[in-house]
Amino acid sequence: MPRNSDTSSLEKLLENPRVWRARSQPGPAEGLSSGYAQLDRMLPGGGWPRQALTEILVEQYGIGELQLLMPALASLCTEEPGAESVEPGWIAWVAPPFQPYPPALQKCGINLARMLIVRPRNASEVLWSAEQALSSGTCAAVLLWPHVLDDQASRRLQLAAEKGGSWAIAFRPLSARHEPSAAALRLELSASHRGKRLAILKSRGGSPAVLHDVV
Amino acid sequence: MTMRPARRPPVIARDNAPPPDTSAQHSQYALPLAKEERLWFCVYLPNLPLEACGPGDKDLAVIEEQQGVHRVLLASDHARAAGVLPGQSPNAALALLPTLTLEERSVIREQQVLELLATWLEQFSSFVCVAGPDVLLLEIAGSLRLFGGLKSLRRQVARGLEAQGFGASLAIAPTPLAATWLARGRRRACIREPANVMAALRNLPLSCLDWPPTVLESLAGMGITDVGDCLRLPREGFARRFGVKRLLQLDRALGHLPDPRNSWRAPERFCADFEMTEEQSDRELLLTICHELLHAHEQFLLSRQLGTQRLLFTFFHLKAKATSLPLGGARADRAAGHWYELLRLRFEKLVLPEPVIAIRLRGGTTQALNGTSGRLAFDGRAPREHYYSMSQLAERLAARIGNESVHGVNAVADHRPQYAWSTRDLFAARAVDALARVRQGIERPLWLLPEPELLSTDNGYPLHQGKLRFVSGPERLETGWWDEHGIARDYYTAISPRGAGLWVFRNRDRHHGGEAAWYLHGIFG
Repeated sequence: MPRNSDTSSLEKLLENPRVWRARSQPGPAEGLSSGYAQLDRMLPGGGWPRQALTEILVEQYGIGELQLLMPALASLCTEEPGAESVEPGWIAWVAPPFQPYPPALQKCGINLARMLIVRPRNASEVLWSAEQALSSGTCAAVLLWPHVLDDQASRRLQLAAEKGGSWAIAFRPLSARHEPSAAALRLELSASHRGKRLAILKSRGGSPAVLHDVV
Repeated sequence: MTMRPARRPPVIARDNAPPPDTSAQHSQYALPLAKEERLWFCVYLPNLPLEACGPGDKDLAVIEEQQGVHRVLLASDHARAAGVLPGQSPNAALALLPTLTLEERSVIREQQVLELLATWLEQFSSFVCVAGPDVLLLEIAGSLRLFGGLKSLRRQVARGLEAQGFGASLAIAPTPLAATWLARGRRRACIREPANVMAALRNLPLSCLDWPPTVLESLAGMGITDVGDCLRLPREGFARRFGVKRLLQLDRALGHLPDPRNSWRAPERFCADFEMTEEQSDRELLLTICHELLHAHEQFLLSRQLGTQRLLFTFFHLKAKATSLPLGGARADRAAGHWYELLRLRFEKLVLPEPVIAIRLRGGTTQALNGTSGRLAFDGRAPREHYYSMSQLAERLAARIGNESVHGVNAVADHRPQYAWSTRDLFAARAVDALARVRQGIERPLWLLPEPELLSTDNGYPLHQGKLRFVSGPERLETGWWDEHGIARDYYTAISPRGAGLWVFRNRDRHHGGEAAWYLHGIFG
């Protein structure tokens, strides 16, 4: 008898909404396939984290930093409109360092009618534009090249990405490696004459890893 | 001897017909109407001089100059209760009620108010007519079905007028003049049959007819005080003594003669001013006023089912030149909230040289606004309210960082790399660009440099972070003789010592120098 009452009081306790059980934690959300099997295997959810901020630290431009994203971006802008968003599939480029070249994008399968290029004039406008684009719910992905991105700004971008259900990708120099960031995924891409090296520095729900010659 | 009706059968002039309505249901009911079946709804505003001063002031009297002397023309209810009467001198009125506000009559303001009201009344009929300084006429025979019958329509108009603070006298009759006279006579008349007009007008005093006082006086001297008396007079004698015009008016009122009217057309573009009593530099207050103007603009467009893509705010100063602030959107809209948000973004950066004395809002060319269907949340997920469309996002971005900084891209079928793409205007209404398909299979970099960058060379080999290693090439791209931007280049794909994929070319045009120069044109991102 006492045992019985014990379990019932335990159940009562567990019904309390203030009790949080580790078991009820949702597993990693299904990721967006990167198109590179080697990378997908290492990422939690089997792909890029949707609705979150991804940071890619690049040594220099031209080592495949865009090629890494192209298969995923192509799948986003040809995807059927989701139930939640109004007009999905736009890809915003905020403050790109050069001109994204349409013929090459088209060759990668990107729908050019869904491209939005934004060229803000200063650092604060870059973050503001990216935040607007992320939270609008219209952009499936927002690529940005911020001049600076401190902890607070990255947190804001992360929140905006969650709000708008959008994928944020920030490109930053290697020197940002030791700065704190709220990004769900941080990658480091570097190249040398021996080949290209992709390191997963931080991965929410995953673990650090180093990959070679992904792109 | 009684006055004989004119021989001619009642004919309604063609001009009198309400303009064809585009809405299907309207024309459906308007077409089978017999010519006689017209119904005029008259809105007579006896207190317009007072009401045009705006609501709010309880102790208000409007004064007017009559023969060089100011006299009270109209007084508010509260002032009348205190003994202020029309015809009093302003001093006498002030002595009776010291808190009285005296306002000079402004005919222009009354006219503006009347036109605003005419615009508002256009929702009830496609044919509204400004028939006098204080009279509006609506042709409602075609509107009865839509508004649920005569009583319901009358009630809706009466309620709307009351809500806007107008005390109106309403009358309905088959001819415009009969309706006007009945309304001026404060008869709550509602006559549908043309045969009943005579009976209704018979007892109407002549003072309702808006005839000159001299005519009324001489008629009164003959013992003729109402319309019925007039109609009993011999026609020829009446016309000779009081003018053919009066006789024709009587015939028109009874429906014996046609009485064509001109329909009032509301202006297609919105323009409204807000004048301040003193100069203002408080930006929050200015924004609030702009918001009010935007609300009026929304109402204006709503009654026409229109939207606009452009707005122009003008801020007037006492001395300096007026500051203008144009606003533009990616698609036509009328919602005040939407425009206000754009305005706020732009207003933040607006420099006003001086305090502002007046604000004007002018709407742009209007276009029909298509309705959109809402969505039922059957799948259990409510649609997210805070989401907005691409065009709204582009507008927001452009409002802060400038139109030229937000654009789309397009591929162009041109073999010259720098002409193989173009920017796409996201704000052009319904930009339908055929997206060119690029020949597949050729290697192109994802990044293009805005201008080819000259590379230094070592013994004829191009350098970029060291000596380049060629991977593929050359791909020869030549000519463009048709537009003087011809090229003659050999493109190569190369890899820098630090692993970056580069797209370089050698200029084959050797006219300007001996050695062909190397350029960096793209980066394989």
